[in-house]
Amino acid sequence: MAKQNVSISGSGKIGGGDYGNVRISGAGRVDGDLIAEEIRISGSGRIMGTVKAREITVSGSGRFTSDVDTESFQGSGACAVEGNLKAGEFRCSGSQRIAGGLSAHYVRTSGTLSVGRDVESDVFISSGKFNIEGLLSADRVEVRLVGESRVGEIGGEKIEIRGDTGFNVQISLTRGFRMGFGGGSLRAKSVEGDEVHLESTRAEVVRGETVRIGPGCRIGRVEYSGSLEVHEDAEVVERVKS
Amino acid sequence: MAEETVSKKEVLKLTGISYGQLYRWKRKGLIPESWFVHRSTVTGQETFFPKDKILGRIAQIQSMKEEKSLDEMVQLLSPEATGRDATWEANATLNAVGEGAKDLLWKDSGYTFAELVALAAGAKALSGGANRSEAELLVELVRHEDELLRDPGGAVALVAEKSLEREGMSVRVPFAVVAREPVQLDGESRVTQRADLEQLVERVKIKLGEVR
Repeated sequence: MAKQNVSISGSGKIGGGDYGNVRISGAGRVDGDLIAEEIRISGSGRIMGTVKAREITVSGSGRFTSDVDTESFQGSGACAVEGNLKAGEFRCSGSQRIAGGLSAHYVRTSGTLSVGRDVESDVFISSGKFNIEGLLSADRVEVRLVGESRVGEIGGEKIEIRGDTGFNVQISLTRGFRMGFGGGSLRAKSVEGDEVHLESTRAEVVRGETVRIGPGCRIGRVEYSGSLEVHEDAEVVERVKS
Repeated sequence: MAEETVSKKEVLKLTGISYGQLYRWKRKGLIPESWFVHRSTVTGQETFFPKDKILGRIAQIQSMKEEKSLDEMVQLLSPEATGRDATWEANATLNAVGEGAKDLLWKDSGYTFAELVALAAGAKALSGGANRSEAELLVELVRHEDELLRDPGGAVALVAEKSLEREGMSVRVPFAVVAREPVQLDGESRVTQRADLEQLVERVKIKLGEVR
């Protein structure tokens, strides 16, 4: 039997359950655990329970009160997940807050990403701002810094943090209109990888095989087993070859 | 005696693996989260591991990685990390865990790791004198606890009983609880069956190891 599709376009509330496509374009709420093929929220949606879906798209405002498990997650609005988010592919160009951890195969963010625990992915690509409380672990970490980002630790194979070189314009409700060159920065407790390239980063310790410390970095201690290059506009307090 | 530990740097040096591999194996669950111990040293934060465990595990992974995929290795070495993606045939495993357990949750397509542990808990309750419906309560509760079973330290599954006495009638209501010790119940309730999930996870892992 085909599963039921649900669409809330005014204001409405449905119970949890196993559905086909769930669309919320008005103000909608799902009470209970939800299983669906596809969930699309373009208005304001609240899901009060765990969610399992093949595809989730949030372009309005979405709130999930518990764990979310999906093959593909796309957020371009404002979205909050109060549990853990597990996604095959995670793309975010809006504002995304995850209270638990994010685990995915592919993460691409150009918005604002905030994660309360760890981020685990094969690939992590960011051209936005992020704040990760725990460990960011990925085979490949590619970051173009915009604004001030923070992370507890970074660990992986290839880690590349690039400073923001171009012209940028920021419009924010609280801070008004800002325009300028550069300004992107990252703070981390530690960075560990086989190939590490950092710019505009402050870290207590960096460990790696091939390490390049670029302009704008302030690093407490670098431990490297292969080679180390330090840019003249970078500061490294202690260098240890091991 | 405390276990001998080894720093992450030493692990890489001793085994020849890279940071990339270590982090990848951790993400996959091949190296349990609980083995990573963060400690402050004179040179800043460092991560340490229980030496024998980590070196043993890396040797196992290295000897298998030619012919097995990462996912296959997870199923063999860290069945608790497979979540709902992998299933096992119950026959061989469950006979060792407890007679009659299979009847508590009948499936023909194979069982997930959490379900095997749940059945082991149910079987233990049965042999401890619980009745069938109490054991089923326990199984139904534990089988969805994949996350907890990845790190089962101190976790227990209980069957308890609440006695209600109202207007001369006495009713006893059984219920199941999964929690980490110490578990507190109210004064009207008492625990009738207690299964240590950490032990059961270990036991099921060993059985799965023998089955392969």
